[in-house]
Amino acid sequence: MTPEKKEYKRDVIIEVTTDLTFPLILLFGLYIMIGTGGTGGGFQGGTILAAAYILYITVYGTEKAREKMPESTNALFKSLGLYLYNGAGWICILFSLAAAQWLNMPAFWPITDFVGVSGSRSFLVGYMVSVGIGLTVMASFVSQYFDLAWKEDEEMGGR
Amino acid sequence: MIEWIVQHILEKYNYWLAMLIIIISLSAIVVKENLLKKLIGLSIFQTAFFLWVVSLGDVGRNIFTTFGLKTGTPPILWKPAEEMGYIYVNPLPHVLMLTGIVVSAATTAVALAIVIRIYQKYGTIEESEIIDKEIELEREGGEVRNAAN
Amino acid sequence: MNIPKMNPLTWTSIVIALLLIALSIYAIEDLPAFGDENSAANKKIKLFSLDADGLVESLDAGVLPVEIKTRIEDLGFIEGPTCPGCQNENYPTLDEGNYEIKKIEKGAYEGGRIYTEEGWDVLIREGEIFYDEFQQYYFIDEMGEKLNVYRYNWPVRVVERTEEETFIINAVTSGLADYRGYDTMGEETVILTGAIGVILLIRRRGRL
Repeated sequence: MTPEKKEYKRDVIIEVTTDLTFPLILLFGLYIMIGTGGTGGGFQGGTILAAAYILYITVYGTEKAREKMPESTNALFKSLGLYLYNGAGWICILFSLAAAQWLNMPAFWPITDFVGVSGSRSFLVGYMVSVGIGLTVMASFVSQYFDLAWKEDEEMGGR
Repeated sequence: MIEWIVQHILEKYNYWLAMLIIIISLSAIVVKENLLKKLIGLSIFQTAFFLWVVSLGDVGRNIFTTFGLKTGTPPILWKPAEEMGYIYVNPLPHVLMLTGIVVSAATTAVALAIVIRIYQKYGTIEESEIIDKEIELEREGGEVRNAAN
Repeated sequence: MNIPKMNPLTWTSIVIALLLIALSIYAIEDLPAFGDENSAANKKIKLFSLDADGLVESLDAGVLPVEIKTRIEDLGFIEGPTCPGCQNENYPTLDEGNYEIKKIEKGAYEGGRIYTEEGWDVLIREGEIFYDEFQQYYFIDEMGEKLNVYRYNWPVRVVERTEEETFIINAVTSGLADYRGYDTMGEETVILTGAIGVILLIRRRGRL
């Protein structure tokens, strides 16, 4: 019941293009992820970072792309993003600061002495929150694509 | 007469377009037999709904109300733009629909994983053939068959 | 005339589509066009209207008259329970020194939104521990010989006060990560469970 094994020809143009644009897409996604001074945010930047890895998997196959994102690194990114955001949120809940607002966070951490009120608010929302969301979204989308595109016994010829 | 047409039909073109896409995708979920095509219809349904809700917050003048096409800019509050007299689009529908987009992506991924398991058990994806195989299994009283085990 | 042979499923879907079209025509006739002030995303809620007998002078002086205050409290915007045995309502009170009245002219342009009517804004201090500032609650308008009282809600704060309160110029991020931060916290957990669900369904022989 298994289909015949086909021999795929390797194309030079496609492989060189993905080699060149893969780091540029990662850089662009990072720029959007930290952008609270303009358009951008956590969710948007995370999906762009995941799109770079999905392009690599589509062109090269799952065996070769596993070296770029092994299982341990994937689990590290997933849990690190969740720790950053949920840690900041649960501390606020446990100490019962502001039942439904997030605005009182800078008063709890002693950052305002160094940076000022505006700097501490943009630090919290821009770096802790957005980076946490972006890492979790990227890691979970990449792992979902690996699972759905993986074949058990049969491999394409030459990959 | 023309006022009634312009006021009720031409000004609200976003309602008509979104409802058209919703109706088409809803019929695709019900009618099609292939399981993957049903999933595509579900994804288009969710996208059309988010498009409709985001278009509710638009601010500005239409070409149908007064002459001039000054619509709102994206909601990023920037001092030089305020001095030039630009008006911002309402950011509230964007905020509320962003979680919905991510939820729809996660739901589609889990649904695709379920379709893969169905294919491994029955050997086909067509809905009518799956129903026929189920009826055969009930009649024989046989055990569960696995295609690739 | 021959009726063509079709699946009964297509017949029911055509009937359902026609019913949905009729329902949408019925619903769309009464809704306002987008960009209107009365659309659901841009709305102020009207509470009640009073006779203006000398209340305008006290509003100009910065003091809220007693009739407006009693009627607002009658509607249920008070701090204690509304009936014996009910739960506590937690609206801020309109006591002395707790509120402030600001006059607005017609056509004033603040925060990307044009006020099309002139009136008075009632700002209330909410009594938070760390961040005590005046928030927008009610809007009083004068039409003929009556005073209308409206009420704001948090959408107005996202649209108007984003720059002042949060110092983030991206209105969408401030609405998601600051005013509604706890919702996004739960949303991230949903994404993680989606990835775990796919892992549980497909990996079978310990590839982890």
